[in-house]
Amino acid sequence: MEELTLELALKMLEAAERWAKDIAAFSCSIAVVDKAGAVIAVHRMDGAAMATTDIAIEKAWTAVAFKMPTLMGSRWLDPRNMGKLIGDHAMGMIGRGKGRLCFIPGGIPITNEENEVIGAIGCSGVPSGVGDISDTSVSQAGVTALYE
Amino acid sequence: MKEDHIMEMNLKLAKSTLSTAVSKAREMGRSCSIAIVDDNGWLVALHRMDGAPIPTAEIARDKAWTAAVFRLPSSEVCRFGDPRASGLGFNVQNWNDRLTTIPGGLPIRNGDHLIGAIGVCSETPEEDVILCQKVIEEMSSMIENTQI
Repeated sequence: MEELTLELALKMLEAAERWAKDIAAFSCSIAVVDKAGAVIAVHRMDGAAMATTDIAIEKAWTAVAFKMPTLMGSRWLDPRNMGKLIGDHAMGMIGRGKGRLCFIPGGIPITNEENEVIGAIGCSGVPSGVGDISDTSVSQAGVTALYE
Repeated sequence: MKEDHIMEMNLKLAKSTLSTAVSKAREMGRSCSIAIVDDNGWLVALHRMDGAPIPTAEIARDKAWTAAVFRLPSSEVCRFGDPRASGLGFNVQNWNDRLTTIPGGLPIRNGDHLIGAIGVCSETPEEDVILCQKVIEEMSSMIENTQI
């Protein structure tokens, strides 16, 4: 797998949607972007809030741009980390990326065999804090589908 | 128009519209982006085919948005800017950066009822309109005959 195609993106979306519907039981939006951060496919499930499409795209874009899950970045922005260690926060990240940067957990980069980032998936609309059910786990279901 | 038939956009309808559009685009030998929005212009699903340039995704979405909110083909929106018509002033009131007058966005209707809109962006706007029309023609039987 060297490049994400529309076909692969749809396979991921299908699996992530199924997970969101059957296991998380929440409607959400899911986006897949390529290695440039450009959208390949977005789906908004019936009942998901209208604004979630854009947030899902932004999460996926951020995951590609930083080559890491947005969950990691959101730790930087956690105000509880401020002052603990010098340089242990990145509040200056807020407002970067021409407003596209979104460090809300839910974006996961996709890597090839050489560990290079070839794209990302982002999900928005699932409330977090309910056990394993979160935006991140919906995205994770999408990533897993690539290896089935 | 029958009351118990599809009256609003849902992901299932959006997906089958997109797969119709993608196969039609392949027949025409074009790579394009296709966006489906609901009756208020909110994105429901967007696909960018392999090889389609990055900006086409956002342009397709803009076209679909314009077609949905004006309830007109995006190409006809420019008539509001005609200096001979009473709608002049449209140009300076371009308050939304999604507004576009490029042909290639068409409303999807069930009879007189607006369900949503489709926006296509590929190489030339003329081809986009032809593709949109083909897709809507193909989908109209599904919209009118499928129970919710």
